Amino acid sequence: MNFDIGYMFDIFPRILQYLPIVLYMGTLSFVLAVIVGLIFAVIINAKVPVLYQLLRVIISYFRGVPTLIQIFIFYFGLPQLFPSLSSIQAITAVIIALSIKNAAYLSEVFRSAFLAVDKSQFEACEAVNMTKWQGLRTVILPQVFRVAIPATGNYYIMMIKETSLAFTIGVVDMLARAKLESAVTYKFLEAYLAVGLIYWAITVVLAFLQSKLEKYMERPYLKEATKS
Amino acid sequence: MIKIQNLHKSYGNTAILKGIDVEVKDGEVLAIIGPSGSGKSTLLRCLNFLEKAEKGIIEIDGAKVNVEQYTKADVVQLRSKTGMVFQNYNLFKNKNALHNVSEPLRLTKKMPKKQAEQVAYDLLAEVGLKGKELNYPVALSGGQQQRVGIARALALNPYVVLFDEPTSSLDPELVEEVLNVMKDVMKQGRTMIVVTHEMEFAKEVADRVIFMADGYIVEQGTPEELFTNPQNERTKRFLKNYLTLHN
Repeated sequence: MNFDIGYMFDIFPRILQYLPIVLYMGTLSFVLAVIVGLIFAVIINAKVPVLYQLLRVIISYFRGVPTLIQIFIFYFGLPQLFPSLSSIQAITAVIIALSIKNAAYLSEVFRSAFLAVDKSQFEACEAVNMTKWQGLRTVILPQVFRVAIPATGNYYIMMIKETSLAFTIGVVDMLARAKLESAVTYKFLEAYLAVGLIYWAITVVLAFLQSKLEKYMERPYLKEATKS
Repeated sequence: MIKIQNLHKSYGNTAILKGIDVEVKDGEVLAIIGPSGSGKSTLLRCLNFLEKAEKGIIEIDGAKVNVEQYTKADVVQLRSKTGMVFQNYNLFKNKNALHNVSEPLRLTKKMPKKQAEQVAYDLLAEVGLKGKELNYPVALSGGQQQRVGIARALALNPYVVLFDEPTSSLDPELVEEVLNVMKDVMKQGRTMIVVTHEMEFAKEVADRVIFMADGYIVEQGTPEELFTNPQNERTKRFLKNYLTLHN
């Protein structure tokens, strides 16, 4: 059998050197996507005129265009229109593309999570004279997040995996490193399988953390829960 | 005192309140009864601007607002004069009993956390919920939730507490404990407006009873007058139906 398992284990550490950049791209894009997605959701639910219609189109566009093409448009295409962008770093382009695209998806998740919060909760906030923001922060958003966390967590995991597209515009990440390794040794299966296994492991860990978080957020809604 | 003048409210083409005039004195307990859809809950909800009335003047303890030209500050002021107890309790589902009472204090009265929690502990004890402070709403019975709701309303020390059918969602055996807490509130001399289907309670506790139907105040008087000697045909019919149902 032509499979060098020893080689595969040898290159793990060399590929793992690039784990931080993967986590950095994935996590930063995710945080931005959550913030922008929340803002989108609030605008859509409030049906803010003009902005609302505009957002509908923007969201439709970013959901409709393949991620790789979006990255190419940001990295290769936009400097044509705005020469100042010609110095844009590949990593920045990836982060921008991933965060806007996923903000479009997450806005739908948050929008429906907002709708899942009972109207009575908003009224209770108003009746005790909380400001809109106080009510959102202390009562509404925690309930929105509780509903949204399962789907949002899945997007985070997806985004970590999507960062591997960065390799196509020259970012040196885990995949790029694996390609370099295999180019020298011609041991493609070992190299790519190694990256694949690492991504799988990340996914398993994140899914575990997500289920912990879901349990934590679920506490106030379980009958036996009495802790503050 | 509370003074409501010529209050109008409609949903689309359906008029719900067709010119309501009410006065409530300091410390008075006013019960509002009437058939479903008569506008009694809407009236209550217009007082703290959960519903925006289209026309009329609302004055509560010196805060006077013409609903046709109100500012955000007017709404805040009216809400600071009122506490509300909802039919479905409307407790903050993500907060335990203690924080349901203390958080509004902390946020809207800028009370330090410790002090707000102390007030909440005391009020929860007053409504008979000592030991339940850390329970989340889901781990409380309907009657217990409503008592937390009353404590939350009282914590802000409002001029008037608005009760919107506070016992309508409760199992019959839980009604009593909530009514008892409401009687305690009354004994403290707080002004109360209670929309209710509990005629016995209205009879026993209210200083004055208003009968509403079809968006109007049809008749009002002391419980004695209204229940034993109603003048208006509509009131008579309503009370007769009620008595047939409950005897």
